[in-house]
Amino acid sequence: MLQMNNVSKVYQTEMVQTHALRDFNLQVNEGEFIAVTGPSGSGKTTFLNIAGMLEPFNEGEYLLDGVNVGSLNDNQRADLRNQKIGFIFQGFNLIPDLNLYENIEVPLRYRGIKANERKRRIEQCLEQVGLASRAKHLPQQLSGGQQQRVAIARALAGKPRFLLADEPTGNLDSLMARQVMELLEQINRDGATIVMVTHDSELARRAPRNIQVVDGQLADFTLYQGAQTIKTASGV
Amino acid sequence: MLEIKPIFNALCRSKVGAVLLLIQIAITTAIVSNAAFIIQDRISYLNQETGYPEQDIFKFNVMTFGTDINLSQQFELDESMLRKMPGVVDAALSSSIPLSGGGSASSFNLKPAPQEGLSVRTAYFFIDDHAINTYGVNLIAGRNFTEDEVLVTNEITQKRTNVTIVTKALLDELYPDGDGLGKIVYFGDLPLKIIGVIGKMKGPWLKDSKPDNLAFIPYIKAASYAQVAVRTKPGQRAAVMKEIENAMLENYSKRVINNIKGLDELKNEYTAQDRLMMRMLIVLITILVLITALGIFGLTLFNISKRTKQIGTRRALGARKSAIVSYFLVENALICSLGLALGVVTAILLGKMLMQYFSVAALPPSYIAVTAIAVFLMSLLAVLAPAKRAANISPSIATRTI
Ligand SMILES: Nc1ncnc2c1ncn2[C@@H]1O[C@H](COP(=O)(O)OP(=O)(O)O)[C@@H](O)[C@H]1O
Ligand SMILES: [Mg+2]
Repeated sequence: MLQMNNVSKVYQTEMVQTHALRDFNLQVNEGEFIAVTGPSGSGKTTFLNIAGMLEPFNEGEYLLDGVNVGSLNDNQRADLRNQKIGFIFQGFNLIPDLNLYENIEVPLRYRGIKANERKRRIEQCLEQVGLASRAKHLPQQLSGGQQQRVAIARALAGKPRFLLADEPTGNLDSLMARQVMELLEQINRDGATIVMVTHDSELARRAPRNIQVVDGQLADFTLYQGAQTIKTASGV
Repeated sequence: MLEIKPIFNALCRSKVGAVLLLIQIAITTAIVSNAAFIIQDRISYLNQETGYPEQDIFKFNVMTFGTDINLSQQFELDESMLRKMPGVVDAALSSSIPLSGGGSASSFNLKPAPQEGLSVRTAYFFIDDHAINTYGVNLIAGRNFTEDEVLVTNEITQKRTNVTIVTKALLDELYPDGDGLGKIVYFGDLPLKIIGVIGKMKGPWLKDSKPDNLAFIPYIKAASYAQVAVRTKPGQRAAVMKEIENAMLENYSKRVINNIKGLDELKNEYTAQDRLMMRMLIVLITILVLITALGIFGLTLFNISKRTKQIGTRRALGARKSAIVSYFLVENALICSLGLALGVVTAILLGKMLMQYFSVAALPPSYIAVTAIAVFLMSLLAVLAPAKRAANISPSIATRTI
């Protein structure tokens, strides 16, 4: 589903050149749930941004569903994000002036989905994250965990096959974090491929496959094996 | 993709900036439409046809202090000298000068005083049979004065003036049925027969309630203070004006020739206030429009910097750049439409107030409509550059800022 071959990303600022990713190689298959860990500043977010076509990369090749992302123009990338990818951010990134219903509606409107179909999907997604009764609330009226669930509903509403989450539980306490994780696992069982960056090693361990980014590169293959073992052990 | 409803809802939830801008747009629309109308009104007032070839006419004052001459005779001599001067078409002693802001007005009555009857206000000039030619105006009916009809005197006499030439405006007001030529009107108790009609010429006061009513009365009462009007051939006025003082003093030296001014110059002096007001209004509306444009520009920039993360998130969720631009355009159009709706109402009320207190004419709806359209276009223009900037915000902002 996702394939990166020797992808490199360099940030050029006035003073320094940062190699955020170097010769990054990764293959993600349909239906996987991958937890990405690594030290701060190692390039996890950069990887996620490139995977989600939020920023360009300098070298290498990135295929998403067989489409060479490097050859797409801005509109094509926007459309592809809208159709294939759901984003979940550490800061939730709900739009403060829109109520929950309208927030979830945003990507659906960009896709040009008709009003009654939008309504059906939004209500279904709100139901799924357990916030159906709060559709008219504004984000600031909710707790962090609830906000993140709305963000997940927004990511789900477009029925993306690929969910990218950057420290989705980073701003949440452990109870809420576990709820969000359970939600993601449920979504993964329903068929979506998930790549989740996290600091929380306990949560990471719950993911069937773990990868570690160190200094802009995929590190330690053994973790992958370890994850495999857990996967087998849990009988999934 | 126009998403009016969520934009409107979002606006309603954080409306302070929007409401301020809305009010600003309303005020701009109200003031600009009224000011534009007043300016247009002034422009047509200033550019109105006066009936005179203003560029070819000038006047001067004669103040005679010498007492060793007969003034009437002297003026006869002066006039014939002036009329022979190279470049001069004609010249005449004129009791007042058109467009100058100074003159005499009285009323022409259908019945002799003290009988009651239709009475019409009019300005009048005491002037001789050279009046029509000197002022270059158009006799459309009847005839000019004959030389015999002109009464020249500076003594009390039994002889009376008994004819007049009037403007069409005055004639029509006295005789609405159009049969006034040849009729008698009364100037006080003095009967005057209307023998000629001038198509159009303005009196001394453009702002008079009857600026078009003017009568020539063929009567020359020589006095130590007099005004003379001169018409020159086109393009020769300046040269004649330069020579006039010497020529007059050569004829007779115990007098002062001054106030040598073109008719256009007199008109400009008379209308100076109007032109000043017009300029101030133009400056005012320019500043207002600029401030409003800047306000829209600034508010959009402010909104963009406040919503950087939101814009990045929208882009991440699949908004094309054009969707971001259209978001800001639609948002602005919404604020602007509400502001314009309020502005139209305010403009009408302001127009009514100006009408009531400053006797300005009724504001035509077309002025409000054109102003509203112009303000709308200007606001779209003001928002376009910031909106394009917003569209260029990188979607990666969504993950890079907390
Ligand atoms: N926009 C940017 N400009 C310059 N340097 C950046 C930018 N974004 C990230 N970096 C640098 O790239 C490296 C990787 O960053 P990031 O991918 O955010 O790391 P992580 O998410 O693993 O903490 C860091 O050294 C960071 O400082
Ligand atoms: Mg990060």
